[in-house]
Amino acid sequence: MGFWEIFGVWLAALLTLGIISFLYRDNAFYKACEAIFVGISAGYWAITYFWDNLYRKFYLQVSDPAGTEKYVPWIGFVLGILMLTRLFKKIGWLSRWPLAFIIGATAGLYMMTYFVSNAMVQISASILPVFEGSFGDIITNLLVSGGTFCGLVYFFFSKEHKGVFGGAARVGIWVLMLTFGASFGYTVMSRMSLMLGRLDFLFGDWLKLIK
Amino acid sequence: MKRNELIVYLLIVAFLLAAYFFFPKPLNFSAAVSIIIVVIMALAFILVFVRTIQGHFIGRRMVFVFVGVALLLPFFMQFKLPLQISPEVRSAYDALVNLPPGSRVLASYDYDPPSAPELQPMADAFIKYCFDHDLKVIIMGLWPQGPQQANLSIEAAFRENPALRNNIKYGVDYVNLGFQSGNEFVILRMGESFKAMFPTDLYNTPYDSIPLLKNIRNYSNVDMSFNFSAGRPGAVEWVQVAVDRYGLRIASCNTAVQAPQVYPYLESGQLLGLLGGMSGAAEFEDLTGKAGKASTYILSQSFAHVVVILFIIIGNVAFFREKRTKVD
Amino acid sequence: MRSRRPPIAAFVPSLFFLSLIPFIFLTAVAQSDLETGENIAFAPPEPPTGVIALDHVYDCGEMIDISWTLSAADTAGGPVTGYEIFRAEADSFVSVSVLPLGTNTYSDEKIIAGTPYRYRVAALYTGGAVLSEITPPVSAGTEIINWNLLNLFVIGLFVCGAVIYYITHAKRGKKLFIRKIAGLEAIDEAIGRATEMGRPILFVPGINDMDDVQTIAGITILGKVAQVVAAYDIKINMPVSRSLVMTTARETIKEAYIGAGRPDAYNDDMVRYVTDEQFGYVAAVDGVMVREKPATCFYLGAFFAESLILAETGNSIGAIQIAGTAQPAQLPFFVAACDYTLIGEELFAASAYLSNEPKQLGSLKGQDVGKFVAMAAIIIGVIAATLAEFGAGSFFVELSDIMHKLFTVEN
Repeated sequence: MGFWEIFGVWLAALLTLGIISFLYRDNAFYKACEAIFVGISAGYWAITYFWDNLYRKFYLQVSDPAGTEKYVPWIGFVLGILMLTRLFKKIGWLSRWPLAFIIGATAGLYMMTYFVSNAMVQISASILPVFEGSFGDIITNLLVSGGTFCGLVYFFFSKEHKGVFGGAARVGIWVLMLTFGASFGYTVMSRMSLMLGRLDFLFGDWLKLIK
Repeated sequence: MKRNELIVYLLIVAFLLAAYFFFPKPLNFSAAVSIIIVVIMALAFILVFVRTIQGHFIGRRMVFVFVGVALLLPFFMQFKLPLQISPEVRSAYDALVNLPPGSRVLASYDYDPPSAPELQPMADAFIKYCFDHDLKVIIMGLWPQGPQQANLSIEAAFRENPALRNNIKYGVDYVNLGFQSGNEFVILRMGESFKAMFPTDLYNTPYDSIPLLKNIRNYSNVDMSFNFSAGRPGAVEWVQVAVDRYGLRIASCNTAVQAPQVYPYLESGQLLGLLGGMSGAAEFEDLTGKAGKASTYILSQSFAHVVVILFIIIGNVAFFREKRTKVD
Repeated sequence: MRSRRPPIAAFVPSLFFLSLIPFIFLTAVAQSDLETGENIAFAPPEPPTGVIALDHVYDCGEMIDISWTLSAADTAGGPVTGYEIFRAEADSFVSVSVLPLGTNTYSDEKIIAGTPYRYRVAALYTGGAVLSEITPPVSAGTEIINWNLLNLFVIGLFVCGAVIYYITHAKRGKKLFIRKIAGLEAIDEAIGRATEMGRPILFVPGINDMDDVQTIAGITILGKVAQVVAAYDIKINMPVSRSLVMTTARETIKEAYIGAGRPDAYNDDMVRYVTDEQFGYVAAVDGVMVREKPATCFYLGAFFAESLILAETGNSIGAIQIAGTAQPAQLPFFVAACDYTLIGEELFAASAYLSNEPKQLGSLKGQDVGKFVAMAAIIIGVIAATLAEFGAGSFFVELSDIMHKLFTVEN
């Protein structure tokens, strides 16, 4: 390994230890590492957005003599300039137009995609013959169909949760809590995995104790 | 800073310096030492449990120490745990195995280095399998660092099998189209034309000059897709746009955080298979025969899970003990 | 005197062995052919039959689908080596694609919409190719309406129509009933605690931009919180990770201070942009929490991996924490670590309830209509499918199929 590689490994290791030191308590070392991380990430994203959006998506396209859509990026450019008018009080109202464009475009895309993928297909998948198959299949089908139904009841805001409806809502919140528990367990695995990655770096790449 | 804290900091620094300069490399525990460590940890847990019942609760920082030890020490142990392959990983693997040689696979690397411990092992095993079985890989990324993570996978494949450097040609067997911003709009536009979103590859080679992409216009010219996803944009967007609108066949590789969110898509048949987190990565490595980091980490992962389960039990004991104390 | 064998008899055995030689030779040739793998010449195979060329439906005239019945000789070890597609615009046919054996479909995308084409398919073998019949002319056209999506259109129209109806209803001043959200009392209690303790409120609107409806809901609740903050002179601290959110939040808080008659008390530094990077942002927010020790922390918006880090740090400083997000993966952490959590749509319901804005209220009611449709479909479908399984009659089988088809979208 060259000098700069070794320097990079040591720097990364010390920064990692600085961030981990927060587990004990806040300290000057953690504050310094936090400031470095925040600054570098802000700079990194600024550069990424410049090169990927302004340069690749705008400049390269409008300056391409053979390009067929070279006038289209100008629309986005003008909207982007209008967004910057937020900085000036008198003309700041112009920035509502690009904002409206962003919200409108994403709402238009999401309306049907979410409706199909997250509603229609899932309703179809919830329509199951409850008492079909083995005992395990019956439990699964009951949980899927019944759990989906009761979850929908819980999120129904047009009726008070009383009587049978309230009972179904209570079953719904229990199903939700079971789901959250399973999801929590999965996420604990994820956090442990990320810690493992850091420990592998510290004890493998830095201290070379792991092969 | 208090004197005790200073002593602890100095001890940690001394330990790290000793580990760097004096410890044998690599460090391996024998079976006897490994068993002794496990027994000591078990005894420590029993002690904590007894003290909790007595009303002396341990602090948060001791829990961190226990978890840290449970994660770290298995790195040096020689145990190997049996692995059970889950149906969702099996179905993702079967979908890949059923592709004939020469098939084209779209691989979307939608993650960054913070999620690499979970997703990089899956990506490495996937690339190694594709290179060994003559599957043509079209790499792209919806996250800026995704394509560079893909290059790390390719380098790992070449390091493991140097003969691949001569056999696998860039532009013929694989291509890296790079990153494109725009999230789901990129996925939507690719349904009509890949070239519209990626006029050049990562190295500025024009799309039409790349032999692998000669007959690839959009999703209908791709046999399957593997998506490595850590968040948004990722698996959910690919299902909503590419699968439901264009009929692309996708197997999803997710971080364990995202996996519960993606399971409904697996159950409804929108996904071919699902690799979730470290365990999914280890199972996939086992199926493909490409043992990597995940197979190494899974022992530490299992130890840590046992520690967490034991502390959940101890925590509940502490909760009810405290409640009883307040009532009294 | 002894008789002699006729001379011809002496040659019979020799003739016999001589006549075997050609057979031996031919066998050796055939054997060597098999060993060297040379193909023995076959007769031309049967051509593909039943070639049909049709316009690919529901596109912009970009594709023609060709299908055919495989040649009868397309078997393992048979003479067919593949298929070649030929296309003619006028009289002469040009090759479009070569396909492996066993393939019986092809989609031709190298066409011009509206131009009539004729196709024929050739079965390839070592001696050449055997051509099929020529198809009648076919041209690719544009279909404006995809009738496969009719069910999606009807259901979508119904739900969207309900949303528009209720928004109009609300705009006319009619009261729309929404059940009480338990989390709203917790918000008031949390703000009251900050007032009593004289410590600031921390408001985190998530890490997504203003195009996410969760961020919009969070900012709406911020408006309500800001009114109380302005009225009681509580300090509010709001680090954000998107520049658009920063400007919107500043406007919201400023309006609250103006509404409370205290415009001079407003300061732009109440809302600060930190960084777009997820973990950089949460590191900074953690630092703010540990140093400024807010009495109340609000986490209302879209969160990802940083949710537990925020909630745990807030827990460690003893703050009262109210969270609300529609991210399913993050809800478990907020539920475990926070004092109150608005789960999923409760965040949007709280936002509508607090703002009393007709659009938000109407949207919520319209969505309830959609949920009602889903609940009804599941109940009817499950009962029908279960009864069909028990053989209760073909009516239930058909009803179950109808329910499935109604909610299946073909692409």
